[in-house]
Amino acid sequence: MSQRFPDVNSYIHSDDLQPVVGDELHLETSDSTSLAEVGVLFHTGQPRSGTFMVRDLHAVCAYSEVPGLEVLPIATALAQYPWLREQYSWNLISPEEDEITRQVAEAAPEGFFLRVRAGEKISLPYQTALYMASANIAQRIHNIVIVEDGAALELITGCLTHQGVQRGLHLAVSEFYVGEDSVLTNTMVHSWGAEVTVRPRAATRVGRNGVFNSNYVSLRTGADIVSNPLTLLVGEGASANFMSVILAEKGSRVNTGSRVELNATGTSAELKHRGVSTGGQIIQGGLMIGNAACRAHVDCSGMLISHDGGAFIESIPGVRSNHRDAQLSHEASIGKIAPEQVEYLMSRGFTESEAVSMIIRGFLDAGISGLGAELDAAIQHIAEVAAQGL
Amino acid sequence: MQMEPVLSLRDVCVAVRGEELLFDINLDIPQGEIHAILGPNGGGKTSLMMTIMGFSGYTVTHGKILFHGEDITHATITERARMGIAVAQQRPPTIEGVRLAQVLDYVTADDLVRENLTSRYLSETNMEGFLKREINAGLSGGEIRRSELLQLIAMRPLFAMLDEPDSGVDVGSLELIGRMINEIFSQDPLTPAKRRSGLIITHNGAMLEHVLTDKAHVIIDGRMACSGNPRLILETAGASGYEHCAACIRGEYSGVGIR
Repeated sequence: MSQRFPDVNSYIHSDDLQPVVGDELHLETSDSTSLAEVGVLFHTGQPRSGTFMVRDLHAVCAYSEVPGLEVLPIATALAQYPWLREQYSWNLISPEEDEITRQVAEAAPEGFFLRVRAGEKISLPYQTALYMASANIAQRIHNIVIVEDGAALELITGCLTHQGVQRGLHLAVSEFYVGEDSVLTNTMVHSWGAEVTVRPRAATRVGRNGVFNSNYVSLRTGADIVSNPLTLLVGEGASANFMSVILAEKGSRVNTGSRVELNATGTSAELKHRGVSTGGQIIQGGLMIGNAACRAHVDCSGMLISHDGGAFIESIPGVRSNHRDAQLSHEASIGKIAPEQVEYLMSRGFTESEAVSMIIRGFLDAGISGLGAELDAAIQHIAEVAAQGL
Repeated sequence: MQMEPVLSLRDVCVAVRGEELLFDINLDIPQGEIHAILGPNGGGKTSLMMTIMGFSGYTVTHGKILFHGEDITHATITERARMGIAVAQQRPPTIEGVRLAQVLDYVTADDLVRENLTSRYLSETNMEGFLKREINAGLSGGEIRRSELLQLIAMRPLFAMLDEPDSGVDVGSLELIGRMINEIFSQDPLTPAKRRSGLIITHNGAMLEHVLTDKAHVIIDGRMACSGNPRLILETAGASGYEHCAACIRGEYSGVGIR
């Protein structure tokens, strides 16, 4: 899997455009449909604490409906809060890290700043959308999320192209700060056009007894995704849980890793990758680095439904111990759908495709539960699409 | 007028992985009759059921299978299941992440009668705890029987095939298993003599005390060796481990010259 570098200049990017004043949130039905698929809802009474959206190259919507949760476009926040630039912005990731971060750092920043005040537990999920409604857009995003001590937030992020958009470039730098005794659940659903290149760069720091949950579901994988988020568990008892469910269709290449550094006593991390390929290439990685008395486990699991056209699944779970009291383990398996399982369900009246879809769904669900209605629907969608690829 | 049999096999030969396993099987199951399939292990009893259900790997090389007069020799498993044929397997596969509850939900298909029956037997069999577990995973022999029979109760098939529903079942549970089987075959509790049709593979005379069968067939080495009264056959042939039947077949071969 080559690491083709995406050239921003072959796309429409923010330097090409004058800032749009008063660009209003106006959604066609097809926009709403695409957004709902990734968990971003725009109906009245939506169970959300607020919405932030970048459409193409500009933030078109940034509000919070609950006290204790502050939301601003990143440029506004950086202008308003000097401390943000000094202590948080580009603090976990260096602009010089690679070509992607350089490209994002050079751009006029778009993206969100989210802050949950200390002790505030936001009960409804907050939703953000990074949406490419037009073709050939290069999005360069920088997000900063701060969950202060004793606070809690569930974030739903939908990254997507409009159903009709094939080509685009999405570069995103995200920095997450999870304070002491606080909980951040970040659920991200991707749905990309067939020729979209996606390069997220995420880093997270978790304080004492803080919890970071990261769920990633890729509905339509686009051409090429490379993602290797970094998580630093710096406070005693901090923990992180990662789950990814990926469908790779023909022509797509997905390389998802995750590097977790367990730096304090009693930290723990668990990573579960679930990948189904119906013709695409999947590399599942993960490296847990134990620098203290800690506990971590990586579990990579793949199902290769079709091996046509160079499709493959490669699992590389890794653990590295720098401390004698670090307890680290990993497992990986790549399976197939057993005909006797399909026929067993058929003998109960299931059609072949219903049976295959239920088996794939079961494979994706195994060991994963309680992700909520949005992800449930997304995973069901993957199982059905994958069953058609058999 | 003679009613058409529910299931008929006409000169059926079956190969498994290229090897002929069943030879010239002829079988008629009339409406409302339950037949026992007897015989030593490895003789082809399970293969017969798997062939009737249509599982891949059981290739009908000769003859045909009729269901209510319709040729189903080449029908898919789904088609046969939807026509009303079902099997309770002896060693059903485990499916990671698929729970018994999902399958029961699917087969009851929102039918209230089936739902009520299923929940009644769920509690009688103490299987509620298995609903959320992966189907067939880590179950004992007795639990697998109950799980399979529950699914058939939920399906209400017109023609049920039960592969050794009594194996791995302790004596105390035999009565419950028998009741579940009678439920599967019952049409209407007020007219117990009217039953649905099916096949039961068993080695156990005690099973046949609980579930009355109309006829028994002995299969040895892939051939239908004998048919007759279930109790008589079990008492004479079953007691000798079917050596009696084997000898009988050997006599037939020399006399008539069947291949």
